[in-house]
Amino acid sequence: MTDWTEAELMHWDDKICRVAEDLGLDWHPIDYEIIDYQEMLSAMAYVGLPTHYRHWSYGKEYERTHTLYNMGQTGLPYEMIINSNPSIAYLMRENALYIHILTMAHCVGHSDFFKNNRMFGDTNPDNIIDSFKSAAKYVRSLIEDPSIGIERVENILDAAHSIKYQVPRFPGIKYKSRDQLLSLEKLKMIENPNYAPDLSKVPLAPEYNILRFIAEHSRDLEEWERNLILIVEESSKYFIPQALTKVMNEGWACTIHHKIINELNLPDSLHLPFIKLHNQVVRPHLGQLNPYHLGYKLFEKIIEKEGFEEAMIIREVHNDISFLRFYIDQEFLEEMNYFSYSFKKDKKMITIDDISDDQGWEDVRSELIKNIGLNRIPTIFVEEIQKDNTLCLSHEHDGRDLDLAYATKVFEHIKALWKDKVKLMTIVENEAWEF
Amino acid sequence: MSVFRKHKSIVDRSASDRMRHKKKIEKAIKESIKDVIAEESIIGQNGKKKIRIPVRGIKEYRFIYGNNEDNKTVGSGGQHPLKRGQKIGDKRAEKGKGQGTGSPSDQEGDQYYDVEISLEELSEYLFADMELPDLEKKQFRFITDETIKRKGYRFQGIRPRLSKKETLKRKIRRQKMAEKNGTHDPESGERFPFHKDDLKYHHIKPKSKENSAAAIFFLMDVSGSMSQDRKYLARSFFFLLYQFLNHRYEKVEVVFISHSTHAARVTEDDFFKVGTFGGTIVSSALELELETIDKEYHPNSWNIYTFYCGDGENWSSDNEKCIDLFKEIKDLSQLTGYCEINEQYKGLADEIDAHNPFHGTPWGTFSAWKNEEMENLWAKLTPICDNTFKKVMVGETSHIWRAFHSLFGGNKG
Repeated sequence: MTDWTEAELMHWDDKICRVAEDLGLDWHPIDYEIIDYQEMLSAMAYVGLPTHYRHWSYGKEYERTHTLYNMGQTGLPYEMIINSNPSIAYLMRENALYIHILTMAHCVGHSDFFKNNRMFGDTNPDNIIDSFKSAAKYVRSLIEDPSIGIERVENILDAAHSIKYQVPRFPGIKYKSRDQLLSLEKLKMIENPNYAPDLSKVPLAPEYNILRFIAEHSRDLEEWERNLILIVEESSKYFIPQALTKVMNEGWACTIHHKIINELNLPDSLHLPFIKLHNQVVRPHLGQLNPYHLGYKLFEKIIEKEGFEEAMIIREVHNDISFLRFYIDQEFLEEMNYFSYSFKKDKKMITIDDISDDQGWEDVRSELIKNIGLNRIPTIFVEEIQKDNTLCLSHEHDGRDLDLAYATKVFEHIKALWKDKVKLMTIVENEAWEF
Repeated sequence: MSVFRKHKSIVDRSASDRMRHKKKIEKAIKESIKDVIAEESIIGQNGKKKIRIPVRGIKEYRFIYGNNEDNKTVGSGGQHPLKRGQKIGDKRAEKGKGQGTGSPSDQEGDQYYDVEISLEELSEYLFADMELPDLEKKQFRFITDETIKRKGYRFQGIRPRLSKKETLKRKIRRQKMAEKNGTHDPESGERFPFHKDDLKYHHIKPKSKENSAAAIFFLMDVSGSMSQDRKYLARSFFFLLYQFLNHRYEKVEVVFISHSTHAARVTEDDFFKVGTFGGTIVSSALELELETIDKEYHPNSWNIYTFYCGDGENWSSDNEKCIDLFKEIKDLSQLTGYCEINEQYKGLADEIDAHNPFHGTPWGTFSAWKNEEMENLWAKLTPICDNTFKKVMVGETSHIWRAFHSLFGGNKG
């Protein structure tokens, strides 16, 4: 049974909010939904969104979380909050009071981050719930439409999901249709008579938003198929800023909950378990990157050296890549004992490449940044549509080869969307490779 | 001030997505089973043996990086001292663990569900879409009612059906995982209690079977030309047939007849183990079968199935006699299968795919056969092939399932 009452939650929430205000935080109001374990699993499967379109992958995610939880591999979900105004967060009924207090303080940190970090500038938190809701409704209507049905809807969604991260890496880059691009080019030509671009080329410049590009240029897509692709692209836009700031966002929320709770004067019966839980959340994972650990420790270091005010500015202007590149130094890496490793084909084993000492730390840092958020996803762009309607895609090779088994499957998915010939160029083991 | 809402949804919103996922998994299990059936470990086992089937998770494909050496991973070393070049593992660590990109579900590498099922359940999966070629209703010798059988486990159930063994297994598994992940310290003496989710219950299911008695005749050539490899293929094939028929009939009796130049009724053990010698006269086995049917298994009360496995070699003088005997057997049996095993047929699978001539004359495009068309049993049996007499060829383990399908698959094969 629970060891808390709703009145207690309100009491502590009130205190948390007051401390947060004193810290100078500025967050969206938060709606807490108190839900049970099953509902929490559902909420997690749908990344916290109260409505989301149907797709089997969310069922898979539910089962996965459920299994992991059963096996003791994941702890209880402590926090789940979505970037909307008001922010919606979930508290699991089965959790103890000290967990709720930590969760609420943590959520204030996230909501503050959502509201202030510039990566989230275009996320439109006031309407996000409604736009997911209407997408869900639309998808349901397609599934129920006897002339379409779930199989065909899934085929398009499966395919679109496979390239859902093949969108511009930075928020605020608006997709421009061919007409818009052409009129821009014509303006430039008027301004500069020497400027003579090849206007027959499609696209005029490499296009990174593959989903939008396909939706605009594929000849044989039906209206509903086009709409589904756009729905997937739209929801990617919501997740991209979060992927760009995972380390910062979690680090900031941990910093904030730690700061707030130390101000709350909790009785020992709540404070001691809190410390235990906090340490568990921000502990290093051997051989892996724990974003909570990395972000928290880096903010801790910054606050220690440059003060909390500086941290407040950082949480506004940086994303993970700039944050890590700017603030990680050798001392920090050494303390964290980070190292890079890779699989050696000839020896058939994994060995350590570099460690964070004098010679190695810069390499470790750049490898670390390569492993953060969207940097772990290969960049693919549209090169051109050839005369025979072949869609030519290219992979921006940065030393890391594509996984060919996966790429082949994605390639099939793209063909299904384009409904015509597709080419994909990449480099495998230092040689050009064409799909 | 924040708002608190006690939320109780009546609808389980993830139910339909979970169901879709489950369907996909089941499909994957069915597909994996086909690879598993030819494996040695399950052949010759009784129904109680549990088989683990690795089922590939339903992957969501994205572009990901492969494992060339320039794709390095970064991790924390904790308190451990580290050296360059130090070996830390054998295979590539699963990608993406703990490095969220906001959507961890997409991050797993190869994900396997290890499904543990009994032979009986395996048969059910295997044979779900098979049609039994029972063409005429028999006067049943055994009348069976609905029986209640234990069948698998469920998370829900009544107390008396609690499976202590399964429950404990699940608890131990959870405990080990917790220890591995540091959430439970075995040294601390802290209790690790059972959790509601550990509980597993026996599931029972009423079962009724339509037809009750079947007699299966397994006939095999054990002459000198039947090498161990060929016999192994035959054994796999028989095993599958046995499982299938056993699955459909309450009572199945199996008669093993092996032959070289003359035939003998043998035990199951001897059937598969006894060494090979001598020449080949197929008709000897057929005669013995007819004799046995006449004495013990009257076709009015028994569903008779006959399967012959050989390598296609026979004294040419015996061929005509064989055809007549096969015809006779065909009339008595629900289904007669003639299977030729020869590793030379390896690699012909592609040809089959191209032409898909599964019924009637499989391997019909195999030119080696065309040349000596009239000389072998295979070609001579063609005229009597129909719904109740089928010919199949097996060259390697992967053909077994195809052969099986062409025997029982009805028109779905």
